[in-house]
Amino acid sequence: MATAIEIMEEEKVAIETKLLTGSQALMECLIAENVDTIFGYPGGAIMPVYDALYDYMDRINHILVRHEQGASHAAEGYARSSGRVGVCMATSGPGATNLVTGIADAIIDCTPMVAITGQVASGLLGTDAFQETDVIGITTPICKWNYQVVDPDEIPEVMAKAFYIAAAGKPGPVLIDITKDAQIKSMTKPFEYKKITKLAGYHPRRVPKLEQVEKAAELINNAKKPYILVGHGVLISEAMEEFREFVEKADIPVASTLLGLSAMPIDHPNYMGWLGMHGMYAPNVMTDQCDVLIAIGMRFDDRVTGDANLFVKQAKIVHIEIDPAEVEKIKKTEAPVVGDAKEVLKMLLPLIEKKDHSAWKKEFRDLEAAEKEAVTDRDLAKVGKIKMAEVVKMVSDKTKGEACIVVDVGQHQMVTARYYDFKNPHSYIASGGLGTMGFAIPAAFGAKMGAPDREVVAFIGDGCFQMTIQELGTIAQSGKAVKMIILNNNFLGMVRQWQELFFERRYSFVELQNPDFITIAKGFGIPGHKCEDRNDLNASIDALLESETAYLLEVVVEKEENVFPMVPAGRSVSEIRLK
Amino acid sequence: MDFMNTYTICVFTENSIGLLNKITIIFTRRRINIDSLTVSETERKGISRFTIVIKHEKREEVEKLVRQIRKIVEVLAVFGYLNEDIVFDEIALFKISTPLGSRPLDVETINRVHKAWVVYWGLDYVVIQKTGSEKEIFDFFKYIKPHGIIEFVRSGRVAVAKTPMGLVEYLPEDMEWEYYL
Ligand SMILES: Cc1ncc(C[n+]2csc(CCOP(=O)(O)OP(=O)(O)O)c2C)c(N)n1
Repeated sequence: MATAIEIMEEEKVAIETKLLTGSQALMECLIAENVDTIFGYPGGAIMPVYDALYDYMDRINHILVRHEQGASHAAEGYARSSGRVGVCMATSGPGATNLVTGIADAIIDCTPMVAITGQVASGLLGTDAFQETDVIGITTPICKWNYQVVDPDEIPEVMAKAFYIAAAGKPGPVLIDITKDAQIKSMTKPFEYKKITKLAGYHPRRVPKLEQVEKAAELINNAKKPYILVGHGVLISEAMEEFREFVEKADIPVASTLLGLSAMPIDHPNYMGWLGMHGMYAPNVMTDQCDVLIAIGMRFDDRVTGDANLFVKQAKIVHIEIDPAEVEKIKKTEAPVVGDAKEVLKMLLPLIEKKDHSAWKKEFRDLEAAEKEAVTDRDLAKVGKIKMAEVVKMVSDKTKGEACIVVDVGQHQMVTARYYDFKNPHSYIASGGLGTMGFAIPAAFGAKMGAPDREVVAFIGDGCFQMTIQELGTIAQSGKAVKMIILNNNFLGMVRQWQELFFERRYSFVELQNPDFITIAKGFGIPGHKCEDRNDLNASIDALLESETAYLLEVVVEKEENVFPMVPAGRSVSEIRLK
Repeated sequence: MDFMNTYTICVFTENSIGLLNKITIIFTRRRINIDSLTVSETERKGISRFTIVIKHEKREEVEKLVRQIRKIVEVLAVFGYLNEDIVFDEIALFKISTPLGSRPLDVETINRVHKAWVVYWGLDYVVIQKTGSEKEIFDFFKYIKPHGIIEFVRSGRVAVAKTPMGLVEYLPEDMEWEYYL
């Protein structure tokens, strides 16, 4: 009689020679790509895949979200904290359309993602079958690539392409729509997976052209007042070390974009803060003073430039960027360098002269007093109701600036960017380009899955919290210690601020009747605490940080606080307001 | 309005489903109207060639558009041209009524002057084919109109660049291409 081990061996051989179904092939592809976590939600058109997943549970950790939007944001959070491709999965029709917001968010913030959707059987395509939606049509404008699979034999190659395209060059989302029959049918050939490293139509330039680097070096070396704007690209290409060396050798002042936050520790002597609509005073106004602007891995978003025609008019621009379509999209550029930030900086470094720009850097520091007096000191004054700023500052101090911070969209997002003292890279995870309310709860969960050893703290507005509140269930079920702080001002604060400043205080539908958040969290099995008194803040934050499980802290803050500085939309950065 | 230039954009792509949509949404999102569009397979198997004609007042915007089209994964190469950089033509078919007793067509003028050819004789109509520039086609349109045009159709532009090399030569090298030649 055969022993158990012999039987297992036989089965293994059988699997190796047996032809896989499309669903099994998909599982094998995920394993070949070292995917350890997927965020998904089942339904009719993806059931064969879920059935295959049942046999792969020990190797692939599937997280059941509560709404597919949560799956796509969680995949983003996972990708942003780990640097790996985030994977999400949904059924056809409503499942797929629920993913759409997260996919749109991922394309604009360059987040690598593979979304897998089920589709009705190929014979039913175009018949308005049950839960049939033209997902390829819907997602074409928001995907880096998408593809509909109707034949299981295609799966290995298509998935290899999907993972390559999602991560290569400027990362982004890829959607693979698989018809139900392609999931069920067996392949006609043995499964074989070959990773893809290059495609005829897509082979982004990583190593730049030498002449472009030389031209950039010349401009930088001859600059009297060079100024660096660092963006998300430096974090994506893991170029932090090369970047620091470059900055220190050339001794150039640095500001980051919102998504470039944490590319450099904020206590670095060359770091001047971040810029943009609610960015800091000196980094914004000094864009008018530099003679050479070195933009690295950023795309001159209108929230950075204000009126782009008036932005850095006086300066020559060096633009280091991996996507050729970004070069001169917004600003005329004297020295474009197309390539991966890390490779470009490596090549640039030996060509750069050692400099001392102390006097020029001091010009930035001299402007700090005005902002400190008008904004920072007031935000942190600890008078009246609790202010968002002091909550963020206290969390920053207690976590020594080392936590992975996830934010939602609105005033709390900007205040967190201002008052958290980032030490480590990949520590500010925000929906920047799309400004997607509802991002934070699922993205914080995803970030924790992607970086389980980091303390993940989410700052969330009371409005935003209610957009994806159901993901509390996902967090509770996973047992992961995601820390959440609601900064509750009882308003859609950022919109209220605009109405106050630009619409004569006509508060049109911005006040909320909020639920009892703590009771809701308890209902989901997540402990929490509501803090309404400054004297209780310290202990409240300690309880949050010390909790071994997920935890919700609600802090009731000043209702009509405004975020300053502020560059009014579409205006020149020189019109920045301090109050 | 500023002066509008005509641009001809040649796009080489893998021949896969949905590509026409992927390309045209890049124009529609930027509110650029497509004047004409022609798609066919090239002499290399599996490679399609799109010839897209637009009018635009700003060269930089067209360059940006070209770079956006290049981002599509299945797109292998994109070229943008002004009229002077290319040799181009369109083809038009005219269905002209020729009932019994109508004024006879002056086939000699049609052939010699307008370089147009009768390609089909129906019972009481003929089909004339005219190849040429937009202007030549409309000149012929005016000439033939008195005879009564039952139907008229004009193709999109096809174009080749005034370069010694063929555009397909610029396609990525390290692929094994199969030729029809
Ligand atoms: C999905 C979505 N809907 C609407 C908006 C517009 N919006 C931007 S910020 C904001 C208010 C956010 O309110 P809240 O969550 O309370 O945060 P606060 O600004 O008060 O910190 C709104 C409605 C958006 N960004 N995203």
